[in-house]
Amino acid sequence: MDFSALLAATQQELRRGTVVLACLLLLGRPGYGYALLDQLRDLGFAVDANTLYPLLRRLESQGVLTSEWNTEESRPRKFYRTSPEGHRLAAELLADWTRLDESIRRLGLAAPGDSE
Amino acid sequence: MTALTDRYVHAVLRAVPGRQRADLEPDIGALVADTIDARDGDERAALAELGDPSLLAARYAEGPQHLIGPAVYGEWRHILTLLLPIIVPIIAAIVLAANLLGGSTVGEAIVAAMASAIGVGLQTVFWVTLVFAVIERVDAPGVGPKRAWSVDDLPELPDDGRVGLVESGASFVFSVLVLVGLVWVQLQSPIVIDGQRFPLFDPALWSLWLPWFIVVMGAEIALVAAIYLRGRWTVASAIANAVLGLAFVGPALYLLQNDLLFDPVLVAKLTEIAGGAWLRPTTTIIGVVVALVVFWDAVDGFLKARRASQARVTASRHPGGPNPPPRPAR
Repeated sequence: MDFSALLAATQQELRRGTVVLACLLLLGRPGYGYALLDQLRDLGFAVDANTLYPLLRRLESQGVLTSEWNTEESRPRKFYRTSPEGHRLAAELLADWTRLDESIRRLGLAAPGDSE
Repeated sequence: MTALTDRYVHAVLRAVPGRQRADLEPDIGALVADTIDARDGDERAALAELGDPSLLAARYAEGPQHLIGPAVYGEWRHILTLLLPIIVPIIAAIVLAANLLGGSTVGEAIVAAMASAIGVGLQTVFWVTLVFAVIERVDAPGVGPKRAWSVDDLPELPDDGRVGLVESGASFVFSVLVLVGLVWVQLQSPIVIDGQRFPLFDPALWSLWLPWFIVVMGAEIALVAAIYLRGRWTVASAIANAVLGLAFVGPALYLLQNDLLFDPVLVAKLTEIAGGAWLRPTTTIIGVVVALVVFWDAVDGFLKARRASQARVTASRHPGGPNPPPRPAR
């Protein structure tokens, strides 16, 4: 495997859960798929509609999102919102993320020079 | 919606399980419409971005998207690599011998043996895979990929703590005898009336059912061997045992009840000698006995599996208890 392929594969592994956390945090305010997609992309999350829409549905079936069809606009849109359970999950994940960030930073400071 | 969009939505829905379809349709419709909007109405580009409908359907689908998952794949491969080198040569040898004894030429016998070997190999792979695909989808305690692994699941070292050699040996020998007997009463029948030799079973059954019974008995032999090598009964082996029992007793009862099992010439001869009144009660009695024996064998497999798992739980809770784990004798 050449380096760019390795990087892409490893990045995908590393980022896997972050989109879930970002969705849970963003959907404190109700939003529908494509609006959420735009927000995520603006924030720098690389995600496609064909993964985000199934993901939202799965999170709903897991009880961390709730949904409602909004029929007031030109065509029906499914608005998602983070459930109380989802907020709890997000808080835990956020704490975890912070711990990981600190640990990785400490490693990053220690690492240069060690391997040379 | 245009025809292209309709076709895309249809292609996605077609690939998800039926019960999900109605529920998913508005979701997929909204996804496609939103994507087209984001592309300023370029439908073709939007659908290209969404990609292969079957991949999108797989992302939406619930349940496993594979036949055999990583949790049971290893065991599936292990059992197949254990069974195939045992079953295939045994069946090939039996068919070869049976054909030679039955008066075929060496060439015919070899061709028949190879055909049986291929057939048995395919059958074995199919049935083992079927059982594992079911296990993959069953979510019950003690079965299925979600079963929690414990240290007690470790197999015993080859030296100690096996399923009794006598027990395995007895059922092994019994199965082989049944298998050989099945072929023998057919090709070198001991039933001789008035100097004429009669096969026990209807020779027409060679076209399907006799090979089927041979295959099932072969699989039974392999299962006994696998359980012996593994050291204990498990729920999986109990299921396999029950499936084999069913595969044996189902066709047998069907043939028996429809008077297709025994050689009609032999039956006619016996009727000529002893009258016809004995026939129906006899087949009924044979059928009931066979069904009971197979049923008990199936139940027994599950009882042994449960006993094996309880014994291990007890042993792990009371290390010095009535069933102390055997020490390696070194």
